[in-house]
Amino acid sequence: MIKKFLNIFRNGIFIDYYLFISIALLSMMGLIFLYSASQGNIETTIKQSFFVFFGLTLMFAVSQPDPDFYKNNALLFLLISIFLVLLTLLTGKEINGAKRWLDLGFFTLQTSEIIKVALPVFLAAYLFDKPLPISLKNTFLTLLLIFFIVNLIRIQPDLGTSLVILIAGLYILFLAGLSWRFIGISSGLFVLTLPYIWNNLLEPFQKQRILTLLDPNADPYGSGWNITQSKIAIGSGGLQGKGYQQGSQAHLDFLPETETDFIFSVIAEEFGFFGVCILLFVFFFILFRCLYLALNARDRFCRLTIGGLSLLFLSTIFINLAMVVGIIPVVGMPLPFISKGGSSLLSFYIAFGIIISMATHKKLMRR
Amino acid sequence: MIDLQERFSERKNFFNRLLLIYIFFTFLFGLIIFRTYTLQVSSFSDYEIAALKNKTREILVQPKRGIIYDRHGEIIVNNTPSYNLIIQPSFEMNLDLLFEDMGSYISFSNAEMKYAYDNFKNKASLNRELVLKQGLTQEEIARFEVRRHRYENVFIAERFSRENLYPKLFAHSIGYIGSLNNEDLENILAEQSIQPKETVFNYSNGYIGGKTGIENIYDKSLRGKFGKRIYEVDATGKLLNLLEEISPINGIDLKTSLDLESQKTAFLEMKERRGAVVAVELATGAIVTYLSSPSFSVNKIANGLSQLEFEKLTSDKDKPFFDRAVQGRYSPASTIKPAIGLFGIENEIIDWDYTINDPGFFVLPEDNRVYRGWKKGGHGNINLNDAIIESSNTFFFSLAYESNIDELTKHLAKFGFGRNVCIDCFLPDSGLLPNPRWKMNTHNFGWFKGDTVNLGVGQGYLSATPIQLAYYSALLANKGSINKLSFVQGYSDPIKDTIKTNNIYVSDWNKIHQSMIGVIENPKGTAGRLRSLKDYTIAAKSGTVELVSTETKEDYKIIRENEGNRDHAIIIAFGPMPNPKYAVSVVIENGESGGSVAGPVAIAVMNTLVKND
Repeated sequence: MIKKFLNIFRNGIFIDYYLFISIALLSMMGLIFLYSASQGNIETTIKQSFFVFFGLTLMFAVSQPDPDFYKNNALLFLLISIFLVLLTLLTGKEINGAKRWLDLGFFTLQTSEIIKVALPVFLAAYLFDKPLPISLKNTFLTLLLIFFIVNLIRIQPDLGTSLVILIAGLYILFLAGLSWRFIGISSGLFVLTLPYIWNNLLEPFQKQRILTLLDPNADPYGSGWNITQSKIAIGSGGLQGKGYQQGSQAHLDFLPETETDFIFSVIAEEFGFFGVCILLFVFFFILFRCLYLALNARDRFCRLTIGGLSLLFLSTIFINLAMVVGIIPVVGMPLPFISKGGSSLLSFYIAFGIIISMATHKKLMRR
Repeated sequence: MIDLQERFSERKNFFNRLLLIYIFFTFLFGLIIFRTYTLQVSSFSDYEIAALKNKTREILVQPKRGIIYDRHGEIIVNNTPSYNLIIQPSFEMNLDLLFEDMGSYISFSNAEMKYAYDNFKNKASLNRELVLKQGLTQEEIARFEVRRHRYENVFIAERFSRENLYPKLFAHSIGYIGSLNNEDLENILAEQSIQPKETVFNYSNGYIGGKTGIENIYDKSLRGKFGKRIYEVDATGKLLNLLEEISPINGIDLKTSLDLESQKTAFLEMKERRGAVVAVELATGAIVTYLSSPSFSVNKIANGLSQLEFEKLTSDKDKPFFDRAVQGRYSPASTIKPAIGLFGIENEIIDWDYTINDPGFFVLPEDNRVYRGWKKGGHGNINLNDAIIESSNTFFFSLAYESNIDELTKHLAKFGFGRNVCIDCFLPDSGLLPNPRWKMNTHNFGWFKGDTVNLGVGQGYLSATPIQLAYYSALLANKGSINKLSFVQGYSDPIKDTIKTNNIYVSDWNKIHQSMIGVIENPKGTAGRLRSLKDYTIAAKSGTVELVSTETKEDYKIIRENEGNRDHAIIIAFGPMPNPKYAVSVVIENGESGGSVAGPVAIAVMNTLVKND
């Protein structure tokens, strides 16, 4: 009976154990960290456990269809996502002056998190049957789409997510063979417009964050507070950490946003450099598994999608870590699978579900 | 159809680019790991300290000052408790209900209630105590105690105030305490290597320090050391747990040599007249009586004086704040005569048999200026002994005339004139022992022989403080040696002053004593009126300080109508003879007669001292 049941699974399900187990492990670690980071808040932890359980199930479900399903429906997904983003702008729930959330009753959805996945998938699908390296015409067309969507997110306003979406889109173009000349010229133009961006596009608080990065000690109790306290938390963790739930920086409210942006500081404080290394090892394992899968993907669509989504994941981790250790300015960016927050969590489960689908449906297509 | 070749190059291109990004990010992650390593391993101790500093808050605990005793162990200055009603606010507490309930048996003023309402939220958020009412009466305490079970986090706490039990008797000797200014506070805390910070006070008037007198001089030992409570705090500064407590070290109790009873006597005898009384124990140089009159209440000063009261005190023409005992400058007048006589002996200008004829005045040969004695017609043929007993001016005018001024000032300096004679007095004045150089520098005038002659009877530029006179008296009593005067003994090694002489022998000291006994006992003695007041033999020398020079008694009658022109009354005394234990000096401003006005005060003080031994 059991043997028969297992047989069904062996033939009928699509699962990459490396990714699935490591992501499940990371999610469990995330729950443990979050329990401490939320000052032992059971409610938060249970809510997050629900998301993790639901997310893992979703990831499993998303990995079952053939990648062609995503390729064929990529435009539909993108249009739905754009519709949701527009709906958010019109009717969204406003929190702290930002309209980022759609209230679904049981769940507030951050719609930008959906489009973060839908855009790279669509771009990969769009480029599937185009001549590569990507032509100039297609470059401009895709860039137009990317900037349109990025701008939709930026005006919510959500600078962090819009940047990540921009980066994800550009990765696809880059992987699709964007010419070095184009890259060189546009980088040059970007540098030239930096003063304009500084003067006209950045909000005063964003400028302040950049200035704070350069000299956090200028105002340690004001704008420099977050980063100063984060560094103290990390630094005081030492090699072995202060012990689970023993972090004074986190538990005595010195550290801000412990459940979301600065959860890494809590981990570093309580588990020390060793704990940081273990966490990073799991991340690296996932990333290098993705690299392997991308290099062995069955077709261009899968290749570009796995590449794009894994780089999205990689960039998110990097931005979060670089922010909390004080290498880049403070931008709101969660640590994937660790930070509290349903939408971001679910979007990465979906992304990895798609990656697993692409990793496991290879042989069937070869036939 | 997809060209295989193209597909291969496309894949290769993809690999290269993806790898490139991965390599780029590997480098970036290396940076993050390096950064984390730097924070957690290389700079660990810095951040560990920073985190510790973050989460802990030191609160100082004020020590109690030492108690000050008199020489018989009577408490002079104490820490008197007052009782405050205190709550530990929390957000669950309802202040309205509390006031309504407690208001039925403890009355709260509007100011008290306003203070409570204004500070409640802040104190609650920081987990600090809030004082609802200060200075509860015994009745209020009792009423609260029977209802105590009804309240959580409401309690009565002791706070102290510094109280001098005899606030007017010891105003100048013990002095008073007052609030510390920031600089003083910083300096005091710096001795314990701590910075000013939040403090749990033991005293209701906060940080206090000795401002004058013994409270000031011995402040360091009286004040004790601050304790610390180290709390865990959160980012808002709210106190969470007490992590460590270092109790304050209370100040050391101070036993002074002051004698309460004699102080009372001095105070009663002085009757608020302007002047000073100082008495010294000969064996130790201990100051046993020390009064500057008129006095003021130190408790009022220490615990807050209204502006009006303060102005009244400072503008009082009798200057109660002025410590006459160590700062008042008075001419020693005739009390100087024993020292001048000893100078004559030491320099072999005279001996005890040396006699002059005193016609009642002395004429300075240089300019024929006349220097008068107090007795018209003079004392006739007179020797040193009689000159002291009868206080012949002429004798000492002529003795001074024969003296070398530099030798004479050196001699007088040995007796304490012109220098500080006290180890632990507050802001002592050195008086003035004039010499030719001083006169040239300050008055731009050369020294006249007449100045030396005036010095011979303690008039002119010479001035001394009452404590210097007491020291001088003690030196005479002790035959040339005495410990430097002090309020507290055993705190530092005593400094013994001994006069070195070539020609003064014990017999000479004894003869001086006899002369000074004669001042009271001899029918011709200037302080004969004291004979009936004393219980035993006392040696003394009175003096009358002329403030206005007059030639006749009639002239003096005119000038004495203005009280401020009247002569000062001075006496130095020691006893009981022949083995004296105490020396006293009394100065009464405008008291007119050393013997009959200052004398009784000195006798009364000495009687109390001897009786009280």
